[in-house]
Amino acid sequence: MSKIGNAIHEIHHMDLIAERDQWVNAIHPLIKFVITIVYIAVVVSFYKYDILGLAGMVLYPLAGFILADLSFKDSLKRLRIVLPLVCFIGIFNPFFDRIPVEILGIRMNAGVISMITLMMKGVFTVLASYLLIATTTIEKLCYAFRLLHVPKILVTQILLTYRYITVLLEEVNRVTQAYALRAPKQKGVHFKVWGSLTGQLLLRSMDRAGVVYESMLLRGYKGSFDYIGSKAKVRPQDIVYLLFWIAIFALCRKVPILVVVGNMVGGLFV
Amino acid sequence: MSHIHIDVQNVSFGYEKGKEILKDISFHGGENDAIGLVGANGVGKSTLLKLLVGLNTEYTGSIRVEEIPVEKDMLPQIREKIGYVFQDSDSQLFMSTAYQDIAFAPRNYGFPEEEVERRVQHALEMTGITHLKDKQIFKMSGGEKKLVSIATILSMTPDIILMDEPSIALDPRNRRNLIHILNSFDHLKIIASHDLDMILETCNRTILMADGKIICDGPTKEILTDKILLEENGLELPMCMQHPVIR
Ligand SMILES: Nc1ncnc2c1ncn2[C@@H]1O[C@H](COP(=O)(O)OP(=O)(O)O)[C@@H](O)[C@H]1O
Ligand SMILES: [Mg+2]
Repeated sequence: MSKIGNAIHEIHHMDLIAERDQWVNAIHPLIKFVITIVYIAVVVSFYKYDILGLAGMVLYPLAGFILADLSFKDSLKRLRIVLPLVCFIGIFNPFFDRIPVEILGIRMNAGVISMITLMMKGVFTVLASYLLIATTTIEKLCYAFRLLHVPKILVTQILLTYRYITVLLEEVNRVTQAYALRAPKQKGVHFKVWGSLTGQLLLRSMDRAGVVYESMLLRGYKGSFDYIGSKAKVRPQDIVYLLFWIAIFALCRKVPILVVVGNMVGGLFV
Repeated sequence: MSHIHIDVQNVSFGYEKGKEILKDISFHGGENDAIGLVGANGVGKSTLLKLLVGLNTEYTGSIRVEEIPVEKDMLPQIREKIGYVFQDSDSQLFMSTAYQDIAFAPRNYGFPEEEVERRVQHALEMTGITHLKDKQIFKMSGGEKKLVSIATILSMTPDIILMDEPSIALDPRNRRNLIHILNSFDHLKIIASHDLDMILETCNRTILMADGKIICDGPTKEILTDKILLEENGLELPMCMQHPVIR
């Protein structure tokens, strides 16, 4: 499949897994959104050398992936573009920060620690966001935004952008396929036709976006999407889910939970 | 239920000033009418259908759907009564699964979720695609998409159904299935097409257009068997009426 064909497939696939009938998917979108935001805030708030404390925060994405029955391998594949990027952020820390420190009895350069911490922060943030998207459809997410009083127009914008991405990509796919079939020996598109090709693409996708919009209008669309999906109420188990994770995050923030658990388990054997 | 009707009087329309696409169109469609709108490519069939649902309102003359004039302010009421099936299913369907797409309209009209579900189920049954309920649209064949498109408007329980080239891009079996389904509806139908064989099987009345005007309006059996009339207006006899030439 072509790269664009792949991208279209990916988007459809995310829709599919977000719509699955899973326990985590059924949790109120607002609750999941709040947990994600709190999680990210807590992750970011760790001190740059507090690598052991931060490591405890792996619990949430780990548990989330298991509960939502998401394939870790597929997810990493899907995030293969983003993850290296977030990992690069701290790459120069070891050169600037050369104070030696000791962790778990190992002497290390402080810069290395802060680099790893930064990478972990990036990866955790991405994983948590992915977890949210993979278990919540865009409609439900937008519903959560509306409950948080994000302006209607902005929410509609988000939703339509999401819907139109596939429209645009499909057009790109068609045009490039048509081009490739008639220029079999070329790799990519010759620069001489870039102009007319993008022009065509713009016109065509505007045209199609126009028809999609007409189709929405004809079916009673009145300029907002906030009624989409069941107007689910927050259930008691949603609150429990929220409180549970907030408590875990608070605990992780206070004590290096992995070390504590490690000591306990170690204590059993010694 | 004799209130179901559509009234078009002296309608003219052009996308650009001074270039009229539709010229002085008048006709009346009543309950149980199944009207085939035929004509060569580019005579303005699609344009006329779009006027009927108010996708363009800058026409002159008068269009009334059940006594409601098709004007900007009236569009929500009009669109509850008319379902329009686009020529291109890919543009009509924009949600991820059949269920989501069919539920779009009833949700927009603010029905509670149980009613939405009931309507979706009913629309799926009418089009015979209950098995496609949770299938993703991008994985569907052309025929399946067409039926889902029809279901998306049935869930609004419209009085009137308009279709633009519904049989185009369907293989013979899907086409036959479509004809069967269309014949099971007792709505007022207007079907624009140059698939005259389909019109012959689904419509009791035919409006023949050429050059933006209505050339004639009468029983399908008479118009679609009139070789000279059809050929004068850029069409040919339906296949089933032609003597087969087998090479
Ligand atoms: N959006 C548009 N802007 C300008 N001209 C258009 C537009 N859509 C259609 N036309 C023109 O209107 C005429 C009738 O088109 P159409 O109603 O699509 O014909 P049909 O459906 O009978 O094939 C054609 O000449 C076409 O070029
Ligand atoms: Mg047309």
